[in-house]
Amino acid sequence: MTLISDKVVLFTVHKDCRCSSSATKPLQDVSESRDQTTLDARKGVVPPQYRFVYPEFLPDPKIIWRNNVREKLERADMLSRRCHVDIPEFYVGSILAVTTSDPHALGKTTRFVGICIDRSGCGLRANFILRNVIDHLGTEILYEMYNPTIQKIEVLRLEKRLDDKLLYLRDALPEYCTFPFNMEPEYLPEGTPVPVNPIKVQLKPRPWLERWERQNLQGVQPFKLPKRFFEKAKAVATPWEKFDLMKTYRSTIAEEEQSEIFSEVYSELHQLEFTRKKMKRKKMFIKPKKTA
Amino acid sequence: MEWASFLCENGPFHSGLVSSELIIVLVQLNINKISISLFQKYNESLTPENKSFIKEVVEDKYGPQAIIGGVTTYQQSPLKNEPMEKGTWFPGVRRTGVIARKIGIYPMWMNDGTKVFSTLLQVVDNHVIRYIPPGEFEPTRKSKKKIRYPNRFGCLLVGAESEDPQTFTKEYCGLFTSSGLMPKKVLGRFFVSPEAAIQPGTPLLASHFKVGQVVDIRGKTIDRGFQGVVKRWGFKGMPASHGVTKTHRRPGNIGSGGTKARVMPGTKMPGHMGNRYRILKGVEILRINTQYNVLWVKGLAVAGGTNSICYIYDTILPFRKSTEPPPFPTFYPEDLEEPLPDDIYSEKLHRFSSPTITFQDTK
Repeated sequence: MTLISDKVVLFTVHKDCRCSSSATKPLQDVSESRDQTTLDARKGVVPPQYRFVYPEFLPDPKIIWRNNVREKLERADMLSRRCHVDIPEFYVGSILAVTTSDPHALGKTTRFVGICIDRSGCGLRANFILRNVIDHLGTEILYEMYNPTIQKIEVLRLEKRLDDKLLYLRDALPEYCTFPFNMEPEYLPEGTPVPVNPIKVQLKPRPWLERWERQNLQGVQPFKLPKRFFEKAKAVATPWEKFDLMKTYRSTIAEEEQSEIFSEVYSELHQLEFTRKKMKRKKMFIKPKKTA
Repeated sequence: MEWASFLCENGPFHSGLVSSELIIVLVQLNINKISISLFQKYNESLTPENKSFIKEVVEDKYGPQAIIGGVTTYQQSPLKNEPMEKGTWFPGVRRTGVIARKIGIYPMWMNDGTKVFSTLLQVVDNHVIRYIPPGEFEPTRKSKKKIRYPNRFGCLLVGAESEDPQTFTKEYCGLFTSSGLMPKKVLGRFFVSPEAAIQPGTPLLASHFKVGQVVDIRGKTIDRGFQGVVKRWGFKGMPASHGVTKTHRRPGNIGSGGTKARVMPGTKMPGHMGNRYRILKGVEILRINTQYNVLWVKGLAVAGGTNSICYIYDTILPFRKSTEPPPFPTFYPEDLEEPLPDDIYSEKLHRFSSPTITFQDTK
């Protein structure tokens, strides 16, 4: 997302942009002239980054599929599930370890470590894909976040990348997707912003699964392709799309609605965050290694 | 200066209320300074005093406006006439169905970890409007057989979604005067046994059904417009390459030739697809929410798009009917000493409020 002037905000519009609103400036804080009802007061209290930390609480923007009652019931179910499994904050590019109950595995649990290459879905259908290269075989697993067989989701490394989706890692050299299963979790000091990894990945030679040169990817090394690929990419490109305000409006949830939704679920989420921070502090304290 | 606003995606405008987030289409044409607003009530040029007076009269008659079970309705007063006798259940008796709105689909999980899609159906503000006994009632669809047995079912007229009488004509509102109810947006007929007759004015709730019960759901399929033969009838079409000329999605041969030298009636051809009533049979109820009157049914094949009306009946499939008596003729909350819990789940269904599913070593 780049800010080129005070009035216009430009960013690529794709399917999972529900959290970006079309407002050019953030909403003003609840002013004194308004009635200080509990909901208004909570709207001012809800942190603005909730839309990025909990993007699955926002419904699909397509109006034909929207219904207030169903969304409320879905959110209530999501919160009850979150009371039993801690779903941490993570982004595409973070490295996660997921433990699930599996009736066919030894010890009835399976643990998988991988980098999150994609995160999609709204409500209870929210899912993410983890990728890892195991024994020279690229493996991806799609986990449904609210599946009750998931026992634990740990974030081993919390970071963001330059792109929203990392599907190009399927065509990248295997070293960029290989993570050991016994990787230790890396803790960030409290209050630090989520680090952005500016790594530029090297892709394997063509053929690729998609035409990566046409997709404005930031996290890939410059392509060494013949000129005709870039000419074709330019011919096929749609540079006017980022100025299409109506497309942005249709693919996002309005900021006023977002604040309403998050103020509804704020108290429970805040409580869960608080317990998570306490557990994290305990873990970090126990961390000291044995001497001699 | 002439300008036109943007057209937003909107479901087919029928009697149903979609959501408060609907963007009203306003196309302003400055030709001769005429402004045309679509999807608006007829402008009756009432003064503000008259408008508030009418609102007072409506609230006097039907009670104050309230949000009951997530739906904006009016708090209506109890039954107008004396309560009539309630019948008793016996196997084979046919009781009333219910009018619901399909509000969405979301996944649920069973206790063994399998994922199951569940359709949410909200029973919106149902009331029985009229009962017509079998002697007086003549069904419109009559069988053309030689022996026509006398009709043994009565007709129960049920309405859903109360609405301000100002949106309807006087003739339509006349349907509701005998029961004293607020006019309803959606009406439906249910053919019931005389023992299952219900007093007009009785509300029908989601608890009319039980969790684990099997139902049939009738809905109007999504209107797909004029469709070709591949989508409409599932024809295979022809290959995309290998020399095929201009024939990729065409029907191909339409006749047999020879003696029957004509196209037989009923030959599958392109045409209008959708917007038809279809009944999905044998659907299990997984969960009921008594606060919002919502049923969760297994599967996602219920006809119709989100926010469309559907009619739910007890199943006619003989091996899936329940042997235990259901609430008969319908569920009356005053019959119970304690109110039902907010959420009732099937035993096989995993509740999100329960702990994570784990599998035990059978050794």
